[in-house]
Amino acid sequence: MKKMLLTGVLLALSSAGAVKVGVLLPLSGASSVSGQAARNGYLLALDEINKAGGVLGKPLELEFADDGSSPAKAVPEFVKLVTVDRVDFMAGGVSSATSIAISGPAKQYNTFMAWIGAAAVPVEDAFADHRYFFHYHPWSYYNFEAILGYFNTLKTQKKARNIAIAYEDGPFGSAGIGDTVAAFKKAGFNVVMTEKFKTGSGNFGPLISKAKAARPDIFYWVGYDTDALPLATEIKQQNLQVGLVYGTPPSWPVGFEKNQLADNIAGLSLWLPSSPQAESRKFVAAYRKKFGNVTEEYFAPLAYVNLKTLAAAINQAGGTDKDKVAAALAGTNTPTPFGPLTFSKSNKTQYQGFKAGNWLHFQFQGEGRVPVYPIKFAQKPMVWNK
Amino acid sequence: MSRVIEATRTVSRRPDFTGRAFVPLALFFLLALAFPFLPLGARAEYLLQIAFFTVVAGVLALSWDILARSGQVSLAHAAFYGLGAYGFALLSKAVPWFLAMPLAALIAGLVSLILGAVTMRLSGMYFAIATLAFTEVVRTVIQNLPESVAGGANGLLVPALLGGNARAQYFLALAVLLLTALVSLAVRFTRLHHAFAAIRQGEETARVLGVSIVRYKLLAFFISSFLAALGGVLFAGKTFFINPLETFSLANSIAPLTTSIFGGLYTTLGPILGATVLRVAEEILHNYIKNGYLVVYGLVLMLSILWLPRGLMGLFRKGKRGGEL
Repeated sequence: MKKMLLTGVLLALSSAGAVKVGVLLPLSGASSVSGQAARNGYLLALDEINKAGGVLGKPLELEFADDGSSPAKAVPEFVKLVTVDRVDFMAGGVSSATSIAISGPAKQYNTFMAWIGAAAVPVEDAFADHRYFFHYHPWSYYNFEAILGYFNTLKTQKKARNIAIAYEDGPFGSAGIGDTVAAFKKAGFNVVMTEKFKTGSGNFGPLISKAKAARPDIFYWVGYDTDALPLATEIKQQNLQVGLVYGTPPSWPVGFEKNQLADNIAGLSLWLPSSPQAESRKFVAAYRKKFGNVTEEYFAPLAYVNLKTLAAAINQAGGTDKDKVAAALAGTNTPTPFGPLTFSKSNKTQYQGFKAGNWLHFQFQGEGRVPVYPIKFAQKPMVWNK
Repeated sequence: MSRVIEATRTVSRRPDFTGRAFVPLALFFLLALAFPFLPLGARAEYLLQIAFFTVVAGVLALSWDILARSGQVSLAHAAFYGLGAYGFALLSKAVPWFLAMPLAALIAGLVSLILGAVTMRLSGMYFAIATLAFTEVVRTVIQNLPESVAGGANGLLVPALLGGNARAQYFLALAVLLLTALVSLAVRFTRLHHAFAAIRQGEETARVLGVSIVRYKLLAFFISSFLAALGGVLFAGKTFFINPLETFSLANSIAPLTTSIFGGLYTTLGPILGATVLRVAEEILHNYIKNGYLVVYGLVLMLSILWLPRGLMGLFRKGKRGGEL
């Protein structure tokens, strides 16, 4: 009995004064795949941080909350973390809509935010004047910058000039499509087709016929995972002669890489388990050891990097003073699974982590995703089908 | 004048038109009014946020119920809710919020007259499908407006209502709920009740009784969509951001429907109570069952509807008609 009491007292004492980080993630709802992946990343980082002595000499504590991928749930959960659970710092954040919804309370409580997701530009507007907003994920305009950079390389190396664009008619595909077309034209490409489609309809026959007539060098599609297989099937059936099929769905269908139809289709990712960086290999090994498998969701390493760098900044600051931690985090310069992480200004925010240069371009080759660009990270040469 | 007197006489003969019938509703509003002042300690701010969204859910559910009383089971509530949100976001660039709010609701109300006129001859499933399609049409139109106007598919930022003051926002939402409840009571205890009920039970019979189907159906649409749009304004002004996909989502049409059924159809207190119980239950489940709480929530909802076919209000009903407030 005495032993139990003593253990209890010791545990209570060890956690007293511990630094608490609130983590707001979509653990249910539309964005839950990314949210659950991020949760694993945080848990892995927490293990490593606490094994290495914790933060400010105490075990770091995480308080998870589920925003349900909904602004109406995110606001109360955020306020609960800040006012009831009294967390010292906030991390997490995947969806743009939920992130904007909490921008009000975040400013009201002057909350320190180390934010991993929410790439839409309105989020940048919402947090433009927030002193303690550290954004890790590239903003959406960096995504396009990365794609344009890759296509420019194809223009030089493969004489690719003609681009056919197929985009889904929802917000994901349609957002900024006019700017996309204008940017391609400005970069010297001929946009030979711009066609919208209904995601999930599965009927790509007319669209591919039109693309065939337009004779593009690059077929660029912006849609969801459900469109990948029907589109690939139609391209094969109609024998569309194109140098590269390039897609940017938020995630690819499970097992897509094992389907022969996926061969040579290219895409974009912030990270791949096969990424060659030493930090990535370390992360994959640690993740496999803890969870018994490997994830392909880049939100897992992103969350991992997020917590590790935040913990390091608190330790460096020697306390939880927000200004000191912000100064320490702003000075971060560390290798990560995505490449080196430093913070610099974006268009509107003060502390932006990863940018266009961190995106990897991959191609499905032989039952896997193989990085093909930037050249320094390429593991195999890109297959150009023309 | 004689019509009014006749209506009053009819109503006054009803057993539930007594002061006692108003007690639960008055108690609810008194409690809701006192809520921000309760000694809730550290949880006060958090619970106030929950209360805000509960009140908005109540506004939506009750406004949907008013339309349902005329026999029109609509799936266009998301359209009016979204029109309110977008109307407010755009109008508040030009006029103060207290003008932008009713104007946005008025626009939604006027648009609803178009839908009401088009779907006048439809009923049941055909009506529901038409209203669902209407929501999609409105969403597509908003999404295809120039990005500089309505933000396109990206969505747009909305100015915070009342400077983002959570307590003031809550009282504003409560005022909108009170307005909705008063409108609902007005519908319940005037000739509108009989007209709506007659239409719901059979348009031919209603026509024979001299009820103007067109006028009352359109009026139901206007009232319901005006109030739903106010709910949209509250939501947009609270979350600072709207986009077509989420604002016009089917969930925003289905939630008021299930909430009203759960609380008790064709009543004023039912949808409000339904929204409160569902939101509180969801929050409790969410806090205690971290994984899979939605499964439990869904099961609770299903069982409640099976065991309480007249909703929560069925628990309070004495006999056939009592307590139908």
